[in-house]
Amino acid sequence: MTVENNGLIHNGSTVNRIDVVLIFCCVLIFFCSGCKKKQSSANTAFYYWKTSFLLDQKAADLLQQTAQNKVYLRFFDVVWNEEKNEVIPNAQVDIRQDAGRLNITPVVYITNKTFQHINVAGIDSLTKNVNQLINRIAAKNNIRYTQVQIDCDWSVTTRDKYFSFLKSFKSLNKRQLEATIRLHQVKYPERTGVPPVDKGLLMFYNMGKISANSKQPNSIYNFADAEKYISSLPYYKLPLDVALPFFSWAIHIRNGKILRVNNSIGKVQLLNKNYFVNTSEEVYRAVKSFYLSGVYVKENDVFKLEEITTDNLNEAAAQVSKHLAKLKTRNIIYYELSSISASAIEAKDIREVSAHF
Amino acid sequence: MLQLLKQKISGKFLLIFSALTITVAGIVWACGGGDYYDDENSSFTPEAFVDPQYSPFFYESSTTYYGSEFNDNGNTRFNKQVVDDWYAYLDKKVGRQILDTLLIKSSQGFTDSVYRNFKGKLKDLPAGMPDLSKSNADEKQLDLFLSYLTLAKACESYAVNQEYNYWDEKPKPKAVAAELGNMLTTAYAQTKDVFVKQRLWFQLVRYYYYQQKQESSAYTAPKLTLPDFFAQEEAQFPKNIMYYRTMGYLAGYYYQHGEFARANYLYSLCYNYSFEMKIPSKWSFRPQNESDWTGTLKLAQNGEEKITLWHLLGISQDPVRAIREIYAINPKSDKLDLLLSRLINSKEQSISPVYSNEESKNKTIDLKTEISLVANIAKENKTRQPFYWNLAAGYLNALSHQYVTAKTFYNVARKQLPKDNKLILAQYKILDWTLYLQYLKKIDAAAEAKMAEPLTWLYRLSQGKDAIPDLRFHRALDQSLQLIAALYKKQGDLVKSNCFEQHPAFYLSNTRIEAMKTLLAKPKKSPFEIAMLNYCNVKIENLYYLQATQLVYQEKLDQALVMMKKAEGINATLLLGNPFNIRINDCHDCDHAAPGKTRYTAQSFLETMINIKAQLTAGKDVSRNAALLANAYYNITHYGNARYFYQSDITGSITDMVQGIDEPFRHVYTDNHIAEKYYLLARTNAKTKELKAKFTFMASKCDHNNEYNRMMESEENRNSWYFQLDKIPTGKYFAELMSQYSQTNYYREVLNECGYFSTYVSKRR
Repeated sequence: MTVENNGLIHNGSTVNRIDVVLIFCCVLIFFCSGCKKKQSSANTAFYYWKTSFLLDQKAADLLQQTAQNKVYLRFFDVVWNEEKNEVIPNAQVDIRQDAGRLNITPVVYITNKTFQHINVAGIDSLTKNVNQLINRIAAKNNIRYTQVQIDCDWSVTTRDKYFSFLKSFKSLNKRQLEATIRLHQVKYPERTGVPPVDKGLLMFYNMGKISANSKQPNSIYNFADAEKYISSLPYYKLPLDVALPFFSWAIHIRNGKILRVNNSIGKVQLLNKNYFVNTSEEVYRAVKSFYLSGVYVKENDVFKLEEITTDNLNEAAAQVSKHLAKLKTRNIIYYELSSISASAIEAKDIREVSAHF
Repeated sequence: MLQLLKQKISGKFLLIFSALTITVAGIVWACGGGDYYDDENSSFTPEAFVDPQYSPFFYESSTTYYGSEFNDNGNTRFNKQVVDDWYAYLDKKVGRQILDTLLIKSSQGFTDSVYRNFKGKLKDLPAGMPDLSKSNADEKQLDLFLSYLTLAKACESYAVNQEYNYWDEKPKPKAVAAELGNMLTTAYAQTKDVFVKQRLWFQLVRYYYYQQKQESSAYTAPKLTLPDFFAQEEAQFPKNIMYYRTMGYLAGYYYQHGEFARANYLYSLCYNYSFEMKIPSKWSFRPQNESDWTGTLKLAQNGEEKITLWHLLGISQDPVRAIREIYAINPKSDKLDLLLSRLINSKEQSISPVYSNEESKNKTIDLKTEISLVANIAKENKTRQPFYWNLAAGYLNALSHQYVTAKTFYNVARKQLPKDNKLILAQYKILDWTLYLQYLKKIDAAAEAKMAEPLTWLYRLSQGKDAIPDLRFHRALDQSLQLIAALYKKQGDLVKSNCFEQHPAFYLSNTRIEAMKTLLAKPKKSPFEIAMLNYCNVKIENLYYLQATQLVYQEKLDQALVMMKKAEGINATLLLGNPFNIRINDCHDCDHAAPGKTRYTAQSFLETMINIKAQLTAGKDVSRNAALLANAYYNITHYGNARYFYQSDITGSITDMVQGIDEPFRHVYTDNHIAEKYYLLARTNAKTKELKAKFTFMASKCDHNNEYNRMMESEENRNSWYFQLDKIPTGKYFAELMSQYSQTNYYREVLNECGYFSTYVSKRR
């Protein structure tokens, strides 16, 4: 007997058993091979997320030495413009150097709000517009690309529209298509669906709740939070590349509420005793009201600094690599190049982390 | 120069700042989405207290600028002003429409033709272009106007924002031609007329501004820098809008060169000048570091200029600090007013209108600093509008649950209110009324008498029957209904409580329904009761209908019919399909589309049920009649084809999903036990194996639905949207069907049509 018209039953909620068995077998093989001395076949790559693309010497060296010049370059964002009531591109990258000799994958970030507002008819023109803009930026900068990555934190309500966009984009663009996958999407694929793409990119960061509480663990990466999600990883129905975090930010908190995540204020500014007092590890309180780097800081505002170290990276890589289904070559993408080049990390550190895969 | 007018100050500044926005990190705050406006959760109307020139900055968290009066298009912002200025200059002898055509709408080619025609060098004018050669305006002035127009149009190429499709390539900024600079310089030197000369000054400053932005090799620096040229010439011109628009470019120049202290100071002067200048100036005002901010403060030449600076800081960042600083300089400044309204409107958004439990009370945000500041200012009584500060101090106290203190401030304010301002008086009434409700402990007859008028007033406002423009009353309305409902509930008067806040569970009791009917039918209602019932959507016929349907589910059909007949109007609701039919797989759409001779209304359906039951009771055709009753009872549940029978505003009718049925009624409207009982009776009395097979299968549907209901109602699944059907037990009827009826035709039909059953069978073969 079937129950007609009932929204409680989710189509496709049951996983095909044969698939599970197959995946499971793969995992077994993977674990067994893991017993031997590991030979990593992973490729290293970097994200570049800033609006102006110009690599300094350190970044260029790091890219060349560790990643064979493979960059996932954010081309532009797609956002919903409230005032104009339309979907528009935003923060288009300004490429200020010769990009033709680099191995570039265009990345487009699309806000979930875009899909909340767009109607089905709008998806066609969005597809066309995104494809054209990618090709225009690529052509102008002599970039020959073989794949595109779309980044969108879609939700249950936007899933259908987002997936339909991916399908039509793939048929228009014809290159390999990759979509970002967040940890919650790995854990609840029956709810959020699996995007119709060639490959997924697992974002192995931003896993914890960004919290005003100074005792709350690092939200960029922490082992315990990651652990809650990754048991479902072997069963995910897409081959997965992995993105690892290498960035820091200061969380700006007022009256116990998060105001913004800020990367223009860092440790250097927070150590200024005229402005801040260090109240506990990595937490700083403003002792008066003032402007700093274009931000207005109010007396008693709190900044919580979250940073990722090489140790964190190794821990994250060891943790996630254990749970991934086997893949011939996997791309390990570090987020992101401009922050890394400003840090103390070196090529050998990156190689060491990538060797976990 | 129209172009100058057309030129958008903020547009240019937008360009300047676009580079900056990149470095500002993403904001983590989730925006409240949807069609929700802040003023729906507000009891404090800025329009009552603050000068309209500040209205774009009234607080609304979801939009950049408030209201519909603002113009944030830099290409058009000054159009009207420009036309008006020239209209006055030409002594009103050239019509506004003609000026609008020439200044705003026409391209350079057309205005050149008009000028050549005026000079007698062109005979035929393009269509729609005015012939100024016959104008009775002063010929010399006209000549100046038209020659200026030619230059101004030429400047539009680089100064007017080029609009483009965002998905297309962004147009490159147009080159700023060197010869244009020479022409402007010559014209400026030759022009004596101050009106025209000031406009040429503006053009030149803007020309310098765009020229120095260009990095091309063709760039040749002017002899004077932009600031030098500005300073050298400014004394001869009046301090009018043209002056401040020119100053905007000077500020932009400084900003671009990293001289933030000076840039922000100049922006503040522009902000202060006029309504039109406020949006672009406030937008551009962006101190970067404490050193430049203190530098800006030092540039202020007097207290009023300092006030504008603090006012700008207060709008975007820190109203408390800004109010404190401004008040110390000039307690009568009208620049305090906007900040106070923003302070209050932003705080009330984060405080829910009603604290129904301790938990949310504990979430109260700390308003001590704000209260102490505003209360002290109110007490000192030195401001421009003392009643405003007293109301604000009172309201902040009320938001912090300090009701007694709040009342003392309101009492002071009441005596200071302007007696002829409808909006302010209404604002006072909103605050006073909600405060009254907040400290009301018990509603007695006296309280009811007092509440009748404000409740009616709010009701009429909410229905648009009365209007007080701009008044924010929705928060007060929500507060009133929730607070009064809670008080009545506490007092045990559930009927009145339900009038203000309906809860479906109220209607589970027939006694309460009867009490509600009595109230609705009461012949002479008090003014309070009339006011209260405005808020009560339920009608007496809805209650009769509810009683009738409840009796049907209790199998008291005769009593149900008595009620049904009184449910006038609703009893004629047409059911979409034939509720006495059933099929193997439920298909409501098929049933609704099936042509049938008989269409049933709710009442005729009930009457037919009564007839069938009478025959059944009399022992006539037992199997068939039992089956018909079974079908009827099946179909008036969620699983059947006659959902209209139970759906109503009282019990929920939002969707076709189970969740659309209000929880207290969900069990009754999904339960299949009565249908199952009658299918079994039909089976017992059936004459053929085929029929027995059919009723067995139908009983299995009821059984499965009941199991499904049980899962859905279980605590663990309460908030879940996901169930697996294969977890539902197949039940005894499938086994019976397979073991006893596998030779029947009906069995084969079921096997064909019902995948669930065929899976069951295939696993057991």
